[in-house]
Amino acid sequence: MEVLQQPYPEFLTLPAPMKNNWLPGIVVLVLLCCAFGKQPSLRLFEIKGYAQGTTYSIVYYAPDSLVSQQQTDSLLQRFDKSVSLYLPQSLICRFNRSQKGIRVDDVFRVLVSRALQISHATGGLVDPTVKPLVDAWGFGVFKSDHEPGKEEVKNLLRQVGANKIRLEGDFLYKTVPGVQLDLNGIAQGYSVDLLADLLERHHIHDYLIELGGELRIKGHKPGNEPFRVGIEGISGDDLDPAPMRQVIEPGDGAITTSGNYRKHHEAGGKQVSHLMDPLTGYPVQNEMISVTVYARDAITADGYDNGFMAMGLQRSLAFLAKRKDMGAYMVYRRPDGRIADTVSTFFKGYQHKTE
Amino acid sequence: MERRTFLKNTGLLSGGLLIGNKLSALQPAGEPIKIAVIGCGDRGTGIMNILNGMPEQFRITALCDVLDFRLTAAQKLVKTGTVKTYIDYKKLLDDKEVDAVIVAVPLYLHYPVAADVIRSGRHLYLEKTMTYTIDQALDLVTLMHGRNEQVLQVGHQYRYSPLYYRVKEMIHKGYLGKVTQVDCRWDRNGNWRRPVPNPALERAINWRMYREYSGGLVAELLSHQIDFINWAFDTHPQEFFATGGIDVFKDGRETYDNVQLMLRYPDPGLIGNFGAMCGNAHDGYLFKIKGTLGTVSLLTDQGMFYPEKKFLSEKGTVDGVTGATRIVWNKEGGTPILPEATKDGTCYAFNDFYQKIKRRELPDSNVFTGARTAISVHLANQALYSQKVCSWDSSYKIG
Repeated sequence: MEVLQQPYPEFLTLPAPMKNNWLPGIVVLVLLCCAFGKQPSLRLFEIKGYAQGTTYSIVYYAPDSLVSQQQTDSLLQRFDKSVSLYLPQSLICRFNRSQKGIRVDDVFRVLVSRALQISHATGGLVDPTVKPLVDAWGFGVFKSDHEPGKEEVKNLLRQVGANKIRLEGDFLYKTVPGVQLDLNGIAQGYSVDLLADLLERHHIHDYLIELGGELRIKGHKPGNEPFRVGIEGISGDDLDPAPMRQVIEPGDGAITTSGNYRKHHEAGGKQVSHLMDPLTGYPVQNEMISVTVYARDAITADGYDNGFMAMGLQRSLAFLAKRKDMGAYMVYRRPDGRIADTVSTFFKGYQHKTE
Repeated sequence: MERRTFLKNTGLLSGGLLIGNKLSALQPAGEPIKIAVIGCGDRGTGIMNILNGMPEQFRITALCDVLDFRLTAAQKLVKTGTVKTYIDYKKLLDDKEVDAVIVAVPLYLHYPVAADVIRSGRHLYLEKTMTYTIDQALDLVTLMHGRNEQVLQVGHQYRYSPLYYRVKEMIHKGYLGKVTQVDCRWDRNGNWRRPVPNPALERAINWRMYREYSGGLVAELLSHQIDFINWAFDTHPQEFFATGGIDVFKDGRETYDNVQLMLRYPDPGLIGNFGAMCGNAHDGYLFKIKGTLGTVSLLTDQGMFYPEKKFLSEKGTVDGVTGATRIVWNKEGGTPILPEATKDGTCYAFNDFYQKIKRRELPDSNVFTGARTAISVHLANQALYSQKVCSWDSSYKIG
């Protein structure tokens, strides 16, 4: 993995001013300096890396390589030490093993408090305490070998619920010893926000960050060109990817996607989604195939996308009608089996196309 | 397309075998198949261990081996009721409590034992390579002619795993583009010998070391990959180039411990590089299929797909892509072909053997594909030991 450098396109090259015609030339030069004078020599930098079991990539325009892969890798490694379920010594794993809770760090605290807010806003359809269900349905770190029965689900639900944890200062309490957290539905988005903060701290204002399909965007490409984002096709076949469903230009903000087309398994002849409904204890089963959410930051977009998957199409549209800071593009299966898509009012950068 | 070797593929691709990592959904019905094992060496007992885990499908009723200590050891493995033991396989074939027979004897004995099993009317699971010589392979094809009620499956078990079915499907769907080379290795750093309790048994136990009994590394190891390429591309090599020697273990063995084959497949426009040796284990099992669009890299139980780099960067006109999180295993842009490692290929092979017997259908690894691979292996060995380029003779009538 290396930081790739490419020279910025040579838009500053001007035709030599003609004799007796200096003035217009100078005017053009001055205008260009006004337009681009703040950052006269922006160059493209690219970072490509591996984190959270997936890939990440950062593209930014800056006068120099202000942020290196070493910095982004180390940020993401620190992040894993807080909330990765794959590291047995991470804070989240220690919390899960604890009887009453533990003292948490800033990352953990921000994630939990945001997850609790979103849980409340979605009527409990997303829930940070969903881990026992995720494990029981075979999507956890350690795979369960059977499908849970009615009784088992009922018992598991006793350990699930946002009211079973409480944050006081930097101490996160459990009110039931069996409570276990899974922040995977929101953490990836937040890690993208933290990468964006890192870039901002280094005065980088034109970037696109992508980690596991979750994005943060700011500014423009050279020539005031917007960043363009493809919404992946839903074949779920990484060996033969489907063409992009849509290409959008969302501008500043975050784009995340939740979909059941890639991660699911089969049991008893039907597909089991990896998304759990924390209210019923069963995997989400409705018309939704994927939801792409726009919000100002990725913790919000990522925090809500699973909720929209669980709400289903109509409830999501009704929910989003009241929110001017958030929008969604949704792919769903119609009752006749055909795949359709729709978009909420405030989904930014979407060009309505006629089919 | 070679007609008869290509039967029945579609059903398997769309059927239960490929869904997840689970075995097919067909529930065992009725009595388990009464099965006998002729040849209770490493492979025979290895299969018995697998069958012990499939009690609803198979019950081991009889065992045969010429070495009594092996017979005694094998008898102890049987977990599914009583078992009769035989020194003479012909006596075993008179046993009425035998519906199907596994033949796992040294290669030179495959043909005589298999032919007797077929004539006895039993279903047959015949270890690879199907036969030692070309004529024997063609004879078994003739012998199976018209025996539609009898199932003969050849033990190229690796290709029965869902992973290898998926790769075959990927090749057919053109995911790899135009495939022009395959690289295969099966290396070890060791003498490939089995312990011999009594020097008199050296040739019986270490039969793989002697050309009279064995086709060496090509027949015992590389045949799996040769068979997969034949099957996946529905073809066979036309020209055989080979070199090798006894370079590591000069211990009286006759079969080479260092071999390299170059096979030319003119129909698909393909070169196959197959190598095996006993003097370095770094690569171990290696299987790469290389096309204009990407490479498949396989182990026996897991595989990766690497799109060609120029296509990775061609995201089109977008700067980023949003989607459900994609799981990758490494930093080189590879994508796992199946989400989890598969089980031992023998499990899938015997699950399918059971189903094919119940349905009286032609297995995917059948007498025709088995003959094609046996002839390929034999010609490769001929090229290896004669230091001549050998060619497939159009007079071989398989299908």
